[in-house]
Amino acid sequence: MSSKKTITVALAGNPNAGKSSVFNALTGAHQRVGNFPGVTIEKHEGYLDYGDYRITVVDLPGTYSLTPYSPEEIVTRRYIIDEKPDVVVNVVEGTNLERNMMLTVQLMEMEVDLLVALNMMDEVEEQGFKIDIDQLELLLGSHIVPTSARQRRGLDDLLDHIIRVVDGRIEIKKNKVSFSAEVEKAIDSIAELLSQEPELDKAANHRWMAIKLLENDREIYSQVQKYPVWVKIELALQEAIKESDVVHGTDPEALITEDRHAFVRGAMQECVRKPKAQRASASDYIDSVVLNRVFGLPIFFLIVWAIFQLTFTLGAPLMDALDYAFGLLSDAVAPHLPEGMVRSIFTDGVISGVGSVVIFLPNIVLLFMGLSFLEASGYMARAAFVIDKVMHRFGLHGKSFIPMITGFGCSIPAIMATRTLKSPSDRLATIMTIPFMSCGAKLPVYVLLAGAFFPPAMAANVMFGIYFLGILIGLWTAWLLKSSVLKSDSEPFVMELPPYRWPTFSSVIFQARVKAVMYLKKAGTLILGAVILIWAASNFPRSSALDAQLARETAQIEASAVAPEVKTEQLQQLEARIESGQLEYSVAGRGGKLLEPLIRPLGFDWRIGISLVTGLAAKEVVVSTLGTIYSIGHAADETSLSSILRSEPGFGKATALSLMVFVLLYIPCVAAVGVMKKEVGSWIPVVYYSIYAMAVAWVASFITYRLALLLG
Amino acid sequence: MKLSELSVGDHAQVTAVAAEPAVRRRLMDMGLVRGAEIDVLRFAPLGDPIEVSCNGLLLTMRRNEAEGITVNKLETCKVPQGVGPGLRKRHRFGRRA
Repeated sequence: MSSKKTITVALAGNPNAGKSSVFNALTGAHQRVGNFPGVTIEKHEGYLDYGDYRITVVDLPGTYSLTPYSPEEIVTRRYIIDEKPDVVVNVVEGTNLERNMMLTVQLMEMEVDLLVALNMMDEVEEQGFKIDIDQLELLLGSHIVPTSARQRRGLDDLLDHIIRVVDGRIEIKKNKVSFSAEVEKAIDSIAELLSQEPELDKAANHRWMAIKLLENDREIYSQVQKYPVWVKIELALQEAIKESDVVHGTDPEALITEDRHAFVRGAMQECVRKPKAQRASASDYIDSVVLNRVFGLPIFFLIVWAIFQLTFTLGAPLMDALDYAFGLLSDAVAPHLPEGMVRSIFTDGVISGVGSVVIFLPNIVLLFMGLSFLEASGYMARAAFVIDKVMHRFGLHGKSFIPMITGFGCSIPAIMATRTLKSPSDRLATIMTIPFMSCGAKLPVYVLLAGAFFPPAMAANVMFGIYFLGILIGLWTAWLLKSSVLKSDSEPFVMELPPYRWPTFSSVIFQARVKAVMYLKKAGTLILGAVILIWAASNFPRSSALDAQLARETAQIEASAVAPEVKTEQLQQLEARIESGQLEYSVAGRGGKLLEPLIRPLGFDWRIGISLVTGLAAKEVVVSTLGTIYSIGHAADETSLSSILRSEPGFGKATALSLMVFVLLYIPCVAAVGVMKKEVGSWIPVVYYSIYAMAVAWVASFITYRLALLLG
Repeated sequence: MKLSELSVGDHAQVTAVAAEPAVRRRLMDMGLVRGAEIDVLRFAPLGDPIEVSCNGLLLTMRRNEAEGITVNKLETCKVPQGVGPGLRKRHRFGRRA
């Protein structure tokens, strides 16, 4: 094993070129998913053993170009320059060579050991394209390997080529793409200046840097600017700009791009014969229905609805099953543990903590199966196209819509789903919007309160109003963010609508698995810790006086001469009373009391304060805490919590409304916060967000409470 | 005229692309360079964004992005490929080492 030589291969290519299929087919089960350092862009890495080699394959993010404008493109560039993979494999879509070759040309400019995997050969043959591979190889100076990742054809050939490149049995020619005479002149003079600078890395590719400088590339600018030679380079650049304007009437950046297109188009004309009958394809036909002015929106909503149903309706029984399984587990474990503290730590703390993380898995897996189906089939881009106008009004992107809708089910998969958004600022704004979309766990709180204080017909309206308020505040938040802090860079809505395709089963499963593992691994640890912390806060310290009282009174009841049914009832009451006393005594209880002055203006007392604190573990916990705490001093026949709440003097319609608004808006559960931190990549925005959410919740509840009091 | 002023079914040739750097670059990378020919396919159900085809590629952009693209509306006769300014004779394809 150790004698094997290791080599690194980077896969680069356009989105939808089948890079991930090639990656999957090559590496099989040996995959690792992480993030590229410093950014939340997924990094897929895997390895395989081939001959005497262990080949590490890195799947770079899909890009159309290598500009410094999008994080994916920067990551791709930096990886190739800094990590120097032994071979770069450019995966291109055989049926859409012309567009794919734009990236190939830019990779050629980087003068790396480049292999081209001409993917989707099955479709190429099916559709009757003829590609003169030998001629194309001559033009590119690279080697082209026809593959079909879907049918697993050509992969061994690709691996052979990789090995041969590393062995030096194939020499990649590193052809230079020639630009217009004026550009070439400028490139030569700038590259010459760069090579004169002694501080600059001799190994760096000066020609490439010169091209990038002419393209106004701010990354390269900042690299070069600190050297004295910059003065001369700046002059050369200005001259190039002037000359290109005089001769071609445009700037060097546009000229270079035009030249690349011209090169590609020339190559296409030489090497590719398109099928005679331009396919009035199925794609066009589907689009004429799906993007229809009349049917477009209804179809869109239908599909979103289907995804939502898939995630939550199908997910709910699985979630319940998991919940039940964890309950059984804790019941099974309990008898084997010493009674008291240790048992409580394991059953109420660890097992229910792990449970609270794991029960979201069905939702996450189902949602991502649905989303990757939409993405890979080509509909996702169309969905964004259909709804973009609405979202754009609030500064969001068309693709923000699906994560936001998912937020009505659960914020966790929704926040993870924002990965479909490319621009970091769009993503951040969408993430900050999602918790205001009232999630499923908040529903029990509304049901309890609206049901307790309003007649059934009115209760539905109240709940609708709550949901609507959440949407309004979410969109308002997005608008606020996008018109202030995140104003700078919006994702340009310049998208390709890819041809429709049936996604392969394995790629859909792969995406779901990736998300599940990511969630469990990274977010899981954080969430688990937080859940256990909240559990500890609501159980410690324990009052020994109350424990003693429990023992004493239990003994009294046991000793008294009443019927056994009455005894059990009395015991239950006693236990509830002591339990709520302990909760009051605990850190969470004291926190609730400490909070009282702060939440008094909202109509809340310390008991609601406690339930809001424990509700951070999960929103439905608010209901169970209220149940525990309000059971004090009530006759046992008043079993329903809603009737207990109604009978409380300090608890009226106004308090109920105010509490619903507060639960809707305040910080989401720790699981959601953990995922948010993970997806945003740093605590700072999350902290700001939390402060903001608390402030909004407070103000909104205050207004609600006062208005409700006024209006009766 | 501007691309945003075209209507569905129009055929046009791009003469200039202006936009903020990132958008402009994206537009150009997707093939909207001088000389490229486009067909306006449709508007989204709500009237924005707009979908065009260019070199067999389906592209979408918002109206305000389309405003930066200057085009010449062409009549039904399609300019044969290889005559546009994008394909100038001075190129040597792939200087062989």
